[in-house]
Amino acid sequence: MARTKINYRALVKSDRVHSRLYTDPQIFDEELERIFHRGWVFVGHRGEVPNPGDFRLKRIGLCPVIMVRDGAGKVNLLLNRCRHRGATVCNDERGNTRAFRCAYHGWTYKLDGSLAGVPYPEAYDEGFRREEFGLTHVPRVAEYRGFVFGSLSPAGITLEQHLGRAREQIDLFVGLSDADEVMVDCGAHKYDYRANWKLQVENAMDGYHAVTLHESFLGVLAERARAQHAADDYKGQFEGSRFAVTRDLGGGHVMLDYWNRLYDALNDDPIPEVEPTTARGRIHFDELTRRFGHLRAAHNLMQGMTHTLIFPNLILIGVQMRVVHPVRVDHSEVAVYPVRLDWLSDAVNATRLRGHEAFFGPAGFGGPDDVEVFERVQTGLAADRLAPWLMLSRGMSRERRDADGTLIGERTDEVTQRGIWRQWMKVMTHEDRPRRATRQSVRLPIGAHPFHQSH
Amino acid sequence: MAVDREKVEQFIYHEARLTDENRYDEWLALWTDDALYWVPCGRDDIDPKREISLIYDDRTRLETRITRLKSGVAHAQEPKSRMRRIVSNIEIEEGANGEITAFANFMLAELRRGVQDIFAGRTIYRLRLVDGAFKLAYKKVLLVNNDEYIDNLTFLI
Amino acid sequence: MNGRAKIDYNTLVKTDRVNSRVYTDPQIFEDELERIFHRGWVFVGHRGEVPNPGDFRLKRIGLQPVIMVRDHAGKVNLLLNRCRHRGAVVCHETRGNARNFRCAYHGWTYKLDGSLAGVPYPEAYDDSFRREEYGLTRVPRVAEYRGFVFGSLSPAGITLEEHLGRAAREIDMFVGLSDAEEIEVSSGINKYDFKANWKLAVENSMDGYHPNVTHESFVSAVMERIKNNPSPEHGAVFDPNSFAAGSYGFAKDLGGGHVMLDYGFRIYDPLNRDPLPPVRAINASGEMHLSDLRRRTSPERAADMLREGGTHTLVFPNLILIGLHMRVVQPLSVDYTEVCLYPTTLKWLTPEVNQIRLRSHEAFFGSASLGGPDDSEIFERIQTAAAADLEPWNIISRGLGKERPDDEGYLYGDMTSEITQRAIWRQWKKMMTQDAGTAATRKRGSRTSTRS
Repeated sequence: MARTKINYRALVKSDRVHSRLYTDPQIFDEELERIFHRGWVFVGHRGEVPNPGDFRLKRIGLCPVIMVRDGAGKVNLLLNRCRHRGATVCNDERGNTRAFRCAYHGWTYKLDGSLAGVPYPEAYDEGFRREEFGLTHVPRVAEYRGFVFGSLSPAGITLEQHLGRAREQIDLFVGLSDADEVMVDCGAHKYDYRANWKLQVENAMDGYHAVTLHESFLGVLAERARAQHAADDYKGQFEGSRFAVTRDLGGGHVMLDYWNRLYDALNDDPIPEVEPTTARGRIHFDELTRRFGHLRAAHNLMQGMTHTLIFPNLILIGVQMRVVHPVRVDHSEVAVYPVRLDWLSDAVNATRLRGHEAFFGPAGFGGPDDVEVFERVQTGLAADRLAPWLMLSRGMSRERRDADGTLIGERTDEVTQRGIWRQWMKVMTHEDRPRRATRQSVRLPIGAHPFHQSH
Repeated sequence: MAVDREKVEQFIYHEARLTDENRYDEWLALWTDDALYWVPCGRDDIDPKREISLIYDDRTRLETRITRLKSGVAHAQEPKSRMRRIVSNIEIEEGANGEITAFANFMLAELRRGVQDIFAGRTIYRLRLVDGAFKLAYKKVLLVNNDEYIDNLTFLI
Repeated sequence: MNGRAKIDYNTLVKTDRVNSRVYTDPQIFEDELERIFHRGWVFVGHRGEVPNPGDFRLKRIGLQPVIMVRDHAGKVNLLLNRCRHRGAVVCHETRGNARNFRCAYHGWTYKLDGSLAGVPYPEAYDDSFRREEYGLTRVPRVAEYRGFVFGSLSPAGITLEEHLGRAAREIDMFVGLSDAEEIEVSSGINKYDFKANWKLAVENSMDGYHPNVTHESFVSAVMERIKNNPSPEHGAVFDPNSFAAGSYGFAKDLGGGHVMLDYGFRIYDPLNRDPLPPVRAINASGEMHLSDLRRRTSPERAADMLREGGTHTLVFPNLILIGLHMRVVQPLSVDYTEVCLYPTTLKWLTPEVNQIRLRSHEAFFGSASLGGPDDSEIFERIQTAAAADLEPWNIISRGLGKERPDDEGYLYGDMTSEITQRAIWRQWKKMMTQDAGTAATRKRGSRTSTRS
């Protein structure tokens, strides 16, 4: 059925957005096309595949991708689809392998994707050139501190341009560690919900909901603080700008910029001393101490140093990388990967994990309440007949520029939501502009035509 | 001393019923001070110092969990899950210091907001006699789906 | 609308037959929501479901989630269940009692009349934010008849009285002439769903042709019971001829899509254990209703009606009054439907009679009963067979041309006549082909204004 062109300008205003953005399957399709299958998307971290042959199944939008480290130490992103008749060639979510062999007719691929062999090759004539039938590489792959991003479009801005100011937040997230010092081997919390993917993205950067939605978490924090005679004002920190601001880093990357303890406060005393265990770690820690003071540097290493969205779907909160996967317009999956740093002691790394578990995951004291509300929103959005708008105007008249030029607001202001939607609009309406050089090559399904491995 | 199988079973069934019925305080009262309530994440055997769990509660965290569940604003349990579980295939071993280790399989039907989920798994219990009655020192739940997407595990599993 | 091919409903619905696409096409389903459920009058609930201030029930008008709540002034409000801030439902329990509705996400709080009581940290909003503009959205038109609360999402249109027409009198009979607050809707709910189109349940409920076949097992159970236990009551007792041609019941078209099976025999309560309790009123207003009812029918019939139900009527499009229950057929998708049955009791009847009402109801209705599940089974068989659409017509010609007018001019046929089906489809087609309605309605429709 021919689809109508959607007028996004009528759906996204500076102070409000329309329900249909969360409920219309056509908009969902176009998001996949324009946001996920064209721009830079986080795929995984090197630390998930530390050894040659280590692989993980990943997704870019709905496109199945193998992230695999080859013998040369390079991390490859390969589309998980046999070039012969289209079966997935890798069927375990994670593991270690020497090659990928398709179970159907036995076509076998090396870790760099190249076609190693096919059974009874004599049936193909000379027009068949093996080097043209390797697994399709994601056309552009780039890394920053071991964070591997892919783009299904062969052309476009660089990853550095895409990340912009958000790079500093990645630096902080890993405590200035180098790529291979970050260990992503602590398991993953996985949850799904029957609602649109953007609800998780917006919520993660929403400083207004904590006092209400997470009342029970803040309540137990306060109780614990009382028991420990601590002076931390857990609720107060969400009320004004005393401890935090909302910040728009540009490009859809936004953050809650705060510097209070949150997650590790539920851990049992005594909390271990933060002491680097390697020389490199000592350099990182000294630098962090220089920037933030010893106490805050130590606290942050124990429970996380930033709270940032890398547009469109990578969330760095506490010690976790969180990836939001759109599945359908009203179904999303979320994977949460806590990370350890190889220059922290086992005791400190364990404390990071216990702090993480306090709030996050399907049995945590905070995360499930968010998930509950995503589904309540999706249900409520059905009431779209008379008043279809969601409001994003909070704090609009008191936004201001920080010294570094980023836009900031009070902790509960919707600066972050507006930043996300501004970028969303930019990407979704990009096609309307005159420049459309890459359009032909971004259509899925990929594999219909081979990409050249020229990245 | 021979293990009193029936007493162990009665304890396990009682514990199961308290969880089914969201009887938080009574359930909490079953536990010892050195309690460990553990639901591994990703697979059954993990090292909690290096990997995350779905639940890894010591006594303090367990009390916090119950405090939150009773707050009335733990939205993921408002409304509360309605549950019934079958506990079966019980095997009992006598351990050191008079502790008893029991193993059981369970199947749980859990319903919230019109959606009924089935959870299944194996539970390992460590029971200790305190003043003539069993207390729960350790409960480890090996969920069949601990490596899958789970939307909500905030009830007592 | 939505840039889709316009459906020609005149080619799908003929006087004597209906194309099965009306049960299977998702676009037709969307059109139905828009033109029937989101425009006309739709039954939402009964006052008796929310007897006390703060009592609420979650409801729907079409697919729009609605809170039905009684406020402190005793008024029953219909509010869209959606926070005006970021769209979460503000009420998440299906029923209960609340002092206000507080959104769990950011804490915006609404009073029982829907007005915005407060938002946390309001200083972030500037002067242009006026609290009175951000109450929960009210269903634009709400009206009641004997405590039956109807809503319309369209701000303009015919009145509820005009909509109900002759069907209002069947509501009178259903509640035994009780006033709004004398009706209790507190005896639980039978809920069932089926994987088929909603209209199958609507048509079936007013089909006098199927009972002797679909419900053969129920009919024989009743006959067995009557044979072994001749009832002490004098009311006309159900027999196999009740649902045969020439029965003393009739199928009747009340106009406006409202139809009924008009019969005077007992069906459900013969399965109860004897002796049946005598029907008595326990207060003065009840005495009045009872004697009025006896005068209009007969003492025996009045007793039967109060013990097992007084009418068998469809209030178009989806409220069904059968026996002593209100039934709401809730479309959810083109091939998935939920149904709720609300048995009612009357405050002025003795507890014994109210109890026997419930036992009569259970005999035939609900997921484990002796009747209803056989109907649901048929709905799914029809939905399955609709895929065989080489010959797509379902026939509704039975009794066509043999309709007769009653004293007031309403057409009726014999019990097995499909006059009821034809009347439902006539109204359906009328609404589906009606012009998009008033300009006011169109302007408010969000969908039209956002597609370019």
